[in-house]
Amino acid sequence: MMLLAFSPAAFPQTPQKLIPRIELPADSPVTLLSADWGDTSSTPRGGAFSVDVRAALSFRNATQRRIRGVTLAVLSQEVTPGGKGSVSVPSLDVAPGETFPINIDLHLLRPIGGGQAGVPGVAVRLDGVLFDDLNFYGPDNLHSRRSMTVWELEARRDRQYFKKLLEAAGTKGLQDAMIASLARQTESDPPRGGVQIVRGRATNSDPEREVSFAFLHFPNAPVEASSGMARIAGNEAHAPRIEVRNRSDRAIRYLEIGWIVKDQDGREFLAASMPADVNLAAGQSQQVGEDASMKFLHTSIQGMTGFVSSVGFSDGSYWIPDRGALNDLKLRRVVSPSPEEQRLAELYRKRGLNVLIEELKKF
Amino acid sequence: MKPGIKSMKQHIAETDLALYVSGDLGLFRRVAVRFHAGRCERCSRLVEAYRADRVRVKNIAAEMPEGVDWDRLSAEMTANIRVGLAAGECVARPRQRKPSAMKLAVSWRPAAIAAGAVALLSVAWLLNMPAGTTDELGRALSAIVHGRGSVMNGVNPVADDDRRPVVVANQLGIELRENNNVMGASQDERPVSVSLSVRGSASARYVNADTGQVTITSVYVQ
Repeated sequence: MMLLAFSPAAFPQTPQKLIPRIELPADSPVTLLSADWGDTSSTPRGGAFSVDVRAALSFRNATQRRIRGVTLAVLSQEVTPGGKGSVSVPSLDVAPGETFPINIDLHLLRPIGGGQAGVPGVAVRLDGVLFDDLNFYGPDNLHSRRSMTVWELEARRDRQYFKKLLEAAGTKGLQDAMIASLARQTESDPPRGGVQIVRGRATNSDPEREVSFAFLHFPNAPVEASSGMARIAGNEAHAPRIEVRNRSDRAIRYLEIGWIVKDQDGREFLAASMPADVNLAAGQSQQVGEDASMKFLHTSIQGMTGFVSSVGFSDGSYWIPDRGALNDLKLRRVVSPSPEEQRLAELYRKRGLNVLIEELKKF
Repeated sequence: MKPGIKSMKQHIAETDLALYVSGDLGLFRRVAVRFHAGRCERCSRLVEAYRADRVRVKNIAAEMPEGVDWDRLSAEMTANIRVGLAAGECVARPRQRKPSAMKLAVSWRPAAIAAGAVALLSVAWLLNMPAGTTDELGRALSAIVHGRGSVMNGVNPVADDDRRPVVVANQLGIELRENNNVMGASQDERPVSVSLSVRGSASARYVNADTGQVTITSVYVQ
């Protein structure tokens, strides 16, 4: 019993150095140049290893095409909660033969006994690479193709918008737009205390009521959300259901709906996105939903608004809202700028207007 | 981040932070929470938020309607409690006295050994088990002692969700929590934006101040 109680596993131990494996396929479009694992380590804690993965990796584009985005999966245990993370780098423009960095900073868990010789095995795998012609390479286990394609389409839309703005309104117009973008980034914070998502029904004894969604309609959207509701109990919303109709002439396989919540003070924020795999022929309708609960710590839900944020067609192409649709006052307040707009705004903030203009001219 | 303050991975449960602010934690736990909050920006911010909430609640309470007869309300509540206790006495079963012959002559040595073993195992448990597991055991024992059929009854719903994997997004970043263990992205810098998917994933977006490179880190429930 003494041995059991005072065995090494009984005490919190000092972190143990860990070198994860990097698993790239033989025909990978990127090759690893260097890997600095910093203070990547694992620490036995209770019945699991607490794994800190901190790395500065450097890759080379081994293809003849330009790379626009890369996603790496970081796995300590694929099938248990906390065992899987990912790092994506959108808005890249890596020419053939050029190198680019990817930094990883993730905290994962792995059950004790799952690794070799008591040491947890952590693997970094390539989940996908997106090229400038929107072709994709990779196993896509984390659905990174969708995310990276949408980010790339948003990047093209936003670069085009800022270039046209520069032509029409000059440097002053571009400068004002960048200042407005930086201000917007600080306004789209989630509520204090944050938002929680739990799969299935959360435990809440408050009486339930059904609340209908209001919808923002975009004139050129291929999908129309016509009605929908979720069950609300106190500070928790669950079982969202939304009726959607394909009003395009192409079959739709995927769509994503943004879920805006209004709190007791009348403040609105983008609480979550609701992705859905669908099979919608032209003109067809379908109900989409998810068995999940969304919960707030200091917020009671007073109203909900939905909007279609992206659509994937059966031919592999995607639709995203244009800049005109995003000028809706409600959306401007709650939806964060695209990764590319955030990159351009940061470029303006740190290096000035001239560098930003040069950057826009590259595309 | 304040100078000398580091981001810490194992955050204090929000229920404990709330109890700390209201002064309802035990001595040792209070010291531990104060020590952690002094070094953890996230927990320190939550403590400040709870303090602000308490001030707000006090202000609201100060605005109670005029003309309320507090003495009368107090007398009525006291009377109701007495009626309840008296009713409980009426329906309680009389205790059966055990025959003295049933008393066991227990030697002190086995008892001391058993006590020592229990103490040893308790220390091992406290050192080994995550706080959430210990809390859960405490709730289960409490439910047994108080005769509740389920440990879920009457427990803070926020604490309940800590048993299942929960993805959380707030101004400081994203986390995946299970049994009060915190996983997820833990970069020292604050993300420029965070997002949640109802499929059980959370993402945090960071922009490198030097290169402008955008990095999006995600964690997944499944």
